[in-house]
Amino acid sequence: MSKQRTRAYKARIDKALATPRLQDTLHRFADAYLISRENAFAGHDFAALRAGIAAMKDEVRDNREEYLAQFTRNAEAAGAKVYLARTAAEANAYIVSLARQRGVKLVVKSKSMASEEIHLNHALEEAGVKALETDLGEWIIQLAGQRPSHMVMPAIHMVKEEVAELFSKVTGQVEPAEIPHLVQVAREQLRQGYLDAGMGISGANIAVAETGGIALITNEGNARLVTTLPKIHVALVGIEKLVPTLEDAQKVIDVLPKNATGQLITSYVSWIRGAVPCGDGSKELHIVLLDNGRSALAESPHCKDALRCIKCGACANVCPVYQTVGGHVFGHIYISAIGIILTAFFHGLENAAELVRACIGCRACVAVCPSGIDLESIILHLREVLGEEEGVGAGKALVFKHIMRNRALFHTMIRTASLLQKPVTRGERTIRHLPLFFAGLTEWRSLPAIADKPLRDQWAGIVQKVEKPRYQVAFFAGCLNDFVYPELGHDLVKVLNHLGVAVSFPQEQNCCGVPALYSGDRETATVLAEQNVAALLAGNPDFVVTTCPTCTMALQRDFVDLLRDHPRWAAQAERLSAITIDISRFIVEKCAGGQALAGRAATEKVTYHDSCHLKRGAGVWREPRQLLAASGRELVEMAHADRCCGFGGSYSFTSHPDIARHILGDKVADIEKSGASCVAMDCPGCLMQIRGGLDKQGKSVRAAHTIQLLAEMIGKG
Amino acid sequence: MTGAFVAALEKVGGVAVNCDTPKHLVGYLAENAPGAVVLPPCPSLQRLDLARHLRAAGVDVIDDDFRRHAPMATAGLTGVNFAIAATGTIVLESTAEPIRLASTLPPIHFALLDPRKIVADSAVAGPLLRRMHARLAQTFLAYITGPSRTADIERVLTIGVHGPKELHVLLCEGVSDDFMES
Repeated sequence: MSKQRTRAYKARIDKALATPRLQDTLHRFADAYLISRENAFAGHDFAALRAGIAAMKDEVRDNREEYLAQFTRNAEAAGAKVYLARTAAEANAYIVSLARQRGVKLVVKSKSMASEEIHLNHALEEAGVKALETDLGEWIIQLAGQRPSHMVMPAIHMVKEEVAELFSKVTGQVEPAEIPHLVQVAREQLRQGYLDAGMGISGANIAVAETGGIALITNEGNARLVTTLPKIHVALVGIEKLVPTLEDAQKVIDVLPKNATGQLITSYVSWIRGAVPCGDGSKELHIVLLDNGRSALAESPHCKDALRCIKCGACANVCPVYQTVGGHVFGHIYISAIGIILTAFFHGLENAAELVRACIGCRACVAVCPSGIDLESIILHLREVLGEEEGVGAGKALVFKHIMRNRALFHTMIRTASLLQKPVTRGERTIRHLPLFFAGLTEWRSLPAIADKPLRDQWAGIVQKVEKPRYQVAFFAGCLNDFVYPELGHDLVKVLNHLGVAVSFPQEQNCCGVPALYSGDRETATVLAEQNVAALLAGNPDFVVTTCPTCTMALQRDFVDLLRDHPRWAAQAERLSAITIDISRFIVEKCAGGQALAGRAATEKVTYHDSCHLKRGAGVWREPRQLLAASGRELVEMAHADRCCGFGGSYSFTSHPDIARHILGDKVADIEKSGASCVAMDCPGCLMQIRGGLDKQGKSVRAAHTIQLLAEMIGKG
Repeated sequence: MTGAFVAALEKVGGVAVNCDTPKHLVGYLAENAPGAVVLPPCPSLQRLDLARHLRAAGVDVIDDDFRRHAPMATAGLTGVNFAIAATGTIVLESTAEPIRLASTLPPIHFALLDPRKIVADSAVAGPLLRRMHARLAQTFLAYITGPSRTADIERVLTIGVHGPKELHVLLCEGVSDDFMES
């Protein structure tokens, strides 16, 4: 079952990757989105707005029974009928039965993701009731027999020629592929539907407990017609849409359009309460409150924050994976990062299984989420759950459980691998081709060879000259720094010694555990966390410095989380977290801004690539730029500097190399367009990816870790 | 405040028209409404006796049997409860169905606004929204910001999909200072 599922999923990826028009559309949209979003939030405090939404949504989640009761009471007092549907089947049964009882033949619908979630159209059609989508994008995909590929722009994956073809079939004449004309065709074709329909079905963006009313945030005006013309109005509302007061509703309205489409406000916000007048009488209003997994989500200690979602779709807009494969691959009904989580709870973990692994973990979504949801952490948790249910894969399980946990064995094996690779490296530092079935791995990026001698074995020979050091720091190298790029360790010592800092290398340090954790093996990650906490604190250093931001996040965040319930380790993990610091922030904050490194004339034009976990994890992005500029280099910004390079650890090797390759292609193009002769970064993983891509494409731009560029200046000034 | 409102309205594709006198107003409507105009019962329109004046100016006015006539009309004329300068939004309490029909079905929406009823932003509008909810048991309140729009085909902004293609806000001081009426 799971193999078949994986095959079908891989086929969808291949199909999407073979559609360059899709990538082109989504990339252009993403670029335009960033600009309009920035303009919309100009003069507003995004952090404060999102904190307000998060707090309000959490309040509703924690007291949802009371707010549900209050909403129901007020809505019924205003003449609405309220039905709480525990499942999709209950919601469908209620609406279908209502349509049957009232003799409804045609239903007009405005956009509702909840109705997509429960497959309402299908249920209506089965009962002989025609459902007509009136939102332009929804109508297009209804005609095409597809599902939305974006929560806000359902037909974003289609081009005007495809739309013209669909519309031509409806009108029976050839409709030109001109957008204003196509919009006019939709207006004319759908107009009669509002007038003929016996029932209008809408969703709701907000349900206000204190009034019993709902609010619809829309642009096209179809929702106003759907809720006005037919005698019956059914509003299908997920229970997470509840807010306590009108002021709370305003908080959502102040943020949703800005974050969704970069509009200050949509064309229409409709506040509807109760059985409003309709023709000669009153409207028959039914509000179907949908649970369908939401209560379970509210009770999940690790995932409950996902219920804060206001469905703006921004997590898709900024996602490099979404931009590469679109919502028909990276989504089930709900798409992108939030879609992974909602799918797991609304449609079952089985339907989210592939998607949970499709996230590259770049945290771009976390940065723009208007409700402050740490989407990446929740997805990682789901990966763990899945790892427990389906296993992490036999090969990985063997490596994690039996090799990595035994540091001496693990490191001996890597040393052995450095000897075994000789036939393919031919003694060079770069692997450009691999034989047989490994060939795919070096098809689009060359790979670095494992060093002859890891940093840990070279350390004793590194002479440190520091009289009266201002700090004693321990260096946590991480596997790549240790075994692939040991020269960065030399550079680090050179720079820190120059700044009056002595460096130690605790030999008992092991892998940070992220590969195991991100693959869903929490147990191995916990064992590794214990080993590293003990190793790094043993010498009582002033700080622990790192050159890999993913390791930094492990030391600062994951160890604390993994060891929280271990009395022996919890306090020590907190201590390690507090003294762990990325190397460039350490230099800027603890070594007087690195003034001692200041260089002279601009010798080189450098562009900077922000590593995901450094900028959005550790919050470091100004510091390396400051150091590079001070070192005498000319700094030029590339476009999308903080967009993921596509490395993602095992993501680019085993789980999704084809997607990783495309994301790297975008990065290389941006680097080249910047006109820089060097691209700097602060992550050995990004270095492996970007250097490999530049090398394979024969580009003359060199890729370097910031510490390497700083070390180069010493002695030159 | 009026300047800020007009700037925001124009940014979203709305049209602002200064009408110094009711006569000017009637002239503008007669000139810019190519066919029948739906006139729902809004106090500010009634105060100016607009139905009579418009008919006198040769405009085909629909002021009854709205459900039957509104789908064929070319324009709707409503009052405005109040407006929000920051976003160029008009707020129209449209619980009475004719107001909704006039402002959703025809391709043009004319909205008569007394500039004294423009407030700064959504924070100031909040208490007014609350008052409207307190006055009526059933409510249909509309925030309208520019004409109907879509970007569903290739993200190209296109005006006038299902709702009005044009929104003209007619600024006329002296017609109403009551935020609870349109």
